Amino acid sequence: MAPKVQKPFAKIVKELVELKDTSELMMDLAYSSLLLSSRELAEEVEALEERMDNLHTEFELLVLASGFKSEESKDFLGLIRLGVATENIADAAAEIARVVLRGLEPHPILKDMIKEAEETVTRVQVSRKSSLIGKSLRNVKLPEETGMWVLAIRRGKKWIRPKPNLTLKAGDFLIASGYAEGKEDLDKLASGENTLSE
Amino acid sequence: MVHLEKIEYKPMPVRDLLVEMKDLSELMIDLAYSAALFHSHELAEEVLELETHVDTLAYILKMNTMLAARDAEDAEALVGVSMVASAADKISDAAADIAALAIREIHVHPIVRAAFSKVEEQLVRAEVKPNSILVGKNLGELELAARMGVDVIAIRRKKNWIINPEGSEVVSDGDILIARGAPHGVEELQLVAEGSVQKLGD
Repeated sequence: MAPKVQKPFAKIVKELVELKDTSELMMDLAYSSLLLSSRELAEEVEALEERMDNLHTEFELLVLASGFKSEESKDFLGLIRLGVATENIADAAAEIARVVLRGLEPHPILKDMIKEAEETVTRVQVSRKSSLIGKSLRNVKLPEETGMWVLAIRRGKKWIRPKPNLTLKAGDFLIASGYAEGKEDLDKLASGENTLSE
Repeated sequence: MVHLEKIEYKPMPVRDLLVEMKDLSELMIDLAYSAALFHSHELAEEVLELETHVDTLAYILKMNTMLAARDAEDAEALVGVSMVASAADKISDAAADIAALAIREIHVHPIVRAAFSKVEEQLVRAEVKPNSILVGKNLGELELAARMGVDVIAIRRKKNWIINPEGSEVVSDGDILIARGAPHGVEELQLVAEGSVQKLGD
């Protein structure tokens, strides 16, 4: 049975989840920007870093204003510390992306690092024959089908954040992360060699 | 007095060091959140242990990078490697801070746990005792995922970490298994690892 939650607390938790998710997305995107030598992705990380700073301040203000009792102070300290940790992770991600933003061509070792890590990042293009075309991200269920998560989509010159109702088009580049085995499945779906299972 | 071990130079490929630092720092984040949310002292200790290990790797990596640069051009090419290694180190520090909450008994509210884990999954640390039926079997034949819904994501064997072990990896007495799964599954794994349950379910 879920304990009853007061409204301000629910909001605090929601913000903390957002801080955590954003910091992890930034890490994935930062490593991807190295692998692909992509300035655009690195800029996306930088934009998220700014958003993260705002979110974090908002979160801390919410915690401080929540009017907790003195016996609850330890619980709230836990929340604040978690928030600080997500902020530090986000900073580290931004540092990785700045290697690309400073115009350094990432050293081949850095690309190898990402390719050889357990969780890898890949980029695939949706071909005109692919069964993904015209379907929404929610409906194609890529995590279930391939074990890969879409981190970002590049359509022409635009970078799009993956939202569940986004419809995939031919020519889209999907940046996805997951275990190395999933990469092949995603490649085949995007190229049209395999079709989605019903 | 603080006593920190001197870290000696070892010739190691920078690429291997980086791969290990990246894998470990990411594993540490998962472990640390789990330690903090489930108030697990044991998991937290593993994270702190890993943090020291990542620090050592960072030193060795920096020494190897320094030696690899022969001129200004090399230095410019390699500085990015050094920055990324520092970032991975920083991520592992953040993970250690999260784990420290469990050590200091700063409890994170259960609501946060529910909000963080969309699926009812948790991480567990299970030490394999000599009389456990897991000893001497490889992960493939154990089929822990099929039998109890748990996935072994890492094994610590003394000072060595094996991340995402292959099916051919044989479990030894004294191994620390880090596994992910549903609450009843991870509980079952702990019982089997400590030897108090002597058979695997179907």
